[in-house]
Amino acid sequence: MGNPYDTVMPDKLDVKQGTLALMILRTLDVLGSLHGYGIARRIEETSKFRLTLNYGTLYPALVKLEQEGFIKAEWGESENNRRAKFYTLTAAGRKQLARETREWHETADLIAAFLAPKWEA
Amino acid sequence: MHYVRAAVARIAGVFTRFRGDDDLRAEMEAHIELETAEHVRRGMSPADARRQAMLSAGGLTQAEEAVRDQRGIPLIESVAADLRYAFRSLRSSPVFAIVAIVTLALGIGANTAIFSVVRGVLLKPLPHRDGDRLVYLRQSMEGPGGANINFSVPEVRDIREGTSVFAGLAEYSPWAAVIQGEADAISIDVGLVTGNYFDVMGLAPVLGRVTTPADDGAAAAPVMVLTHELWMTRFGGDPSIVGRDIRLDGRLVTVIGVLQPAPYFPDRVNGFLNMVHSPHHLSAQMVQGRVHRMTEVVGRLKPEATIAQAKAEVATVYARLQSEYPEAYAAASHFKLAVIPFKDAIGERASVTLRLLMVAAIFVLLISTANVVNLTLMRGVRREHELVVRAALGAGIGRLRRLLLLENLLLAIAGAAVGILIAVGGLGLLVSLADRYSPRASEIGLDATVLGFTIGLSIVVALVLSFAAFLPREGSLSSLISAGMRRMSGSVRKHRLQHGLVVTQVAVSVVLLAGAGLLNRTMMRLADVDTGLRTEEVLTMDVSLLTPANAVAAFSDPSAIPAVHEKYALMQREIAALPGVIEVGVGAPMPLRSTSMRFEVKAEGKVLPAGEPLPRAESRIATPEYFGAAGIPLVDGRLFTASDGTGPELNVIINKTLADKYFPNESPVGKRIAWTGEILKFTPISPAWRTVVGVVGNTQDGGLDAKPTAAVFHPFAGSLPIGAGLVIRVDSNTRALIPAATRIIRRLAPTTPIEDVMTISQYKDRSIAPRRVNAALISAFGILAVLIAAVGIGGVLAFSVSARTTEIGIRMSLGADRAQVQRMILREGGSLVLGGLLIGVAGAWLGAGVIRGLLFGVAPHDPMTFGAVTALMAIIGVVACWIPAVRAARIDPAIAMRA
Repeated sequence: MGNPYDTVMPDKLDVKQGTLALMILRTLDVLGSLHGYGIARRIEETSKFRLTLNYGTLYPALVKLEQEGFIKAEWGESENNRRAKFYTLTAAGRKQLARETREWHETADLIAAFLAPKWEA
Repeated sequence: MHYVRAAVARIAGVFTRFRGDDDLRAEMEAHIELETAEHVRRGMSPADARRQAMLSAGGLTQAEEAVRDQRGIPLIESVAADLRYAFRSLRSSPVFAIVAIVTLALGIGANTAIFSVVRGVLLKPLPHRDGDRLVYLRQSMEGPGGANINFSVPEVRDIREGTSVFAGLAEYSPWAAVIQGEADAISIDVGLVTGNYFDVMGLAPVLGRVTTPADDGAAAAPVMVLTHELWMTRFGGDPSIVGRDIRLDGRLVTVIGVLQPAPYFPDRVNGFLNMVHSPHHLSAQMVQGRVHRMTEVVGRLKPEATIAQAKAEVATVYARLQSEYPEAYAAASHFKLAVIPFKDAIGERASVTLRLLMVAAIFVLLISTANVVNLTLMRGVRREHELVVRAALGAGIGRLRRLLLLENLLLAIAGAAVGILIAVGGLGLLVSLADRYSPRASEIGLDATVLGFTIGLSIVVALVLSFAAFLPREGSLSSLISAGMRRMSGSVRKHRLQHGLVVTQVAVSVVLLAGAGLLNRTMMRLADVDTGLRTEEVLTMDVSLLTPANAVAAFSDPSAIPAVHEKYALMQREIAALPGVIEVGVGAPMPLRSTSMRFEVKAEGKVLPAGEPLPRAESRIATPEYFGAAGIPLVDGRLFTASDGTGPELNVIINKTLADKYFPNESPVGKRIAWTGEILKFTPISPAWRTVVGVVGNTQDGGLDAKPTAAVFHPFAGSLPIGAGLVIRVDSNTRALIPAATRIIRRLAPTTPIEDVMTISQYKDRSIAPRRVNAALISAFGILAVLIAAVGIGGVLAFSVSARTTEIGIRMSLGADRAQVQRMILREGGSLVLGGLLIGVAGAWLGAGVIRGLLFGVAPHDPMTFGAVTALMAIIGVVACWIPAVRAARIDPAIAMRA
């Protein structure tokens, strides 16, 4: 499925374990309050449609973040006057985002260093 | 921190999931609408847009399920669902459920009951402070009465000074006393203890104080510490008893405290006195006599000391004592000193019996579990279809396994619940049994540990049941489904398992039956033992005019003795005058009871071969009528006359055992014997030569299963009557005589307790009662096992017949007649029974040695018992096979093949 408007389908990637929470937190950080559909769209767009999110992945992740107290949810009106559940980052969520971002950079640097081109002997 | 919040949220989610579901559905719906709107905005038709939105959602139900899993705790929720399902499934086959639950309840109940006894009597920590550091010291030697000969004060002193592992060693002497109330008197057992006794034992008072070293010595005031039990029974739990004086053996003793409840060992005492109560215990004889062994010793190990160190140190000291004082440790008698953890010493007597019962109970559980496994297997075959369908619909093997496990857990827990009820019902009997073997019977109960044991047991049973059932293997599903119809027979592997279980059941039943048979034969042999006495119409009663304390006082001041003799003579005369009384004798101790008054005997002119210890004989006293009243036969010479014991000549009567020892080929009458040994100098017994005037038959005074001990009877008239009683022979109805006889005694001796009023046959019965209960319990287990096994054999065969209905139909239509079919089924069952019998007899043969100590008059490999058990099991086995075999023969081939 993925993006129905693209005729050229790039290689699809699965959402890596643990990265989805980071993406959700970052999305909410950037866009403020947003509903599930909006989060999914935004993540897909940001990934240039290389990622697809089905509900079975997205909503459990949202529930988990809510349970952990990083985001909070409330019902509200969407842009075209539909009732939808809106998620907002909490203070704890902001802190968690900062921490995860830092950790992710560290990990990325580490992996980059490992994958660097081989030295000449 | 956020983990905790998440966990709390999830647990809450288990309970709020339904409300959450609505919320989730609304959210999903909003999602789809938003997406649809987006598609429409980009130009799709509304219908296409919605379809596209639904498609991209990727399975709404799966999404909901995934969110639900995240929101709650999926394991608990699916387990709850499985549990509901398991419950429904059991309810739909109630016969299976009830049979399984009852069978398991019998097995689990038996184990719960026996384990609660094992725990209370053997395993539970002692109530004493740091009870695991208490040790009991036991000195023993070879020969009758040598199993525990106690210690002398010098021996205790040497052990105390020669060792460093003990925080304290306390001395304790068994003693008897009489509490004289205003209207009555009761005799009690007491311990004479050193002041450090309670500190060493780690026992605290619940009221008042206990004795301390300040209560030692001749100058201390006589004081008494009551046991909790005596305080409750005699003094009604009255706290004002502390500080009061009570009359004990005719003098006033102050009660200083009440002890915490605790098991008392080696004697079940009612109270404790300081040593000053018995001047003898403070005398030079007692304190300096190395062979004057009247003291029990308990010790408390230092916190860092081990039992092994204690054994080593004590052994070193003991070896030194033996070489320093060879006269006190005759080499021929093989003196030994054992250091035993106190808890083990208390449990020693009960241990063999209880272990036997525990094994029997486990056997019963084994058989009942085997039966339920068989039932489950049969039910499993019928359920195979259902399980296959479930697997085909996507249930994983793990999930199916879990479902079965839950079903079996339900069965086992229900079985355990009923089993606990059974255990509670049987506990009273078991406590009374344990009470004969252990002072800790009062500690038996269904406490948390026992219940934990029971629950653990039922979980194990459930696991066994679940893994015995076979589940369709992944990959084999298609063949199972394509087979289409319900399969009835199951696999070869399952068949083998069922047969194996039946063989096991038969084998275990045979072992239990053999044990029960041997114990019952022992009971018969014991009941048949000739006591050497007349057992019917002979009434005995203990009437101790002299308490031990009075008696010891009489050693030094014999002036009070004639009055005591006169009083016994008066009782004898008055009771003899009652209607129906034939003869009344007085003596000590009563027949069938043994005495600790045991000393070495020598015979004039007889020298025993070197290395052979001198025989030890019981010193007993009797009036001339004692023998006739008790029915002890005169073998040689004459009985006492009224003049024996009144003049200067010393006459005695010996029993046959002693006569055979010294005078095997001649008449002992007119020969002379004498008491001998170091110990005599601490007693009023003279080592002078005494003339044998008669020989009487042996009596089983040491117990029905013991070899008769040697005995020397002194004329009552010339002796100190300690612990004497009356032997009354009547022409009929002994019971009717009791009130009249006790009235006479009460009148003549108002402050003397009258105890153990019973006929000799009642006394004999009482002495074997614990063994009888034991044999009855094992028999009950055996019968239970056989019944369960019989049901098992019958059930498996019946199942086999129903599975082979078509086959049998074919055989019959090909010409097999009913007798052949019946034989075929009988052969199948018979081979199982035979296999079980062979294994069971072999197992019983190998295991019988274990209960050798509990047997009497029957060899562990008694061919008659084994033969009878085998025959019984074979008959029951054949009967169990017969019913399914007959049913097989009645199969109508036409119907069977059409089905």
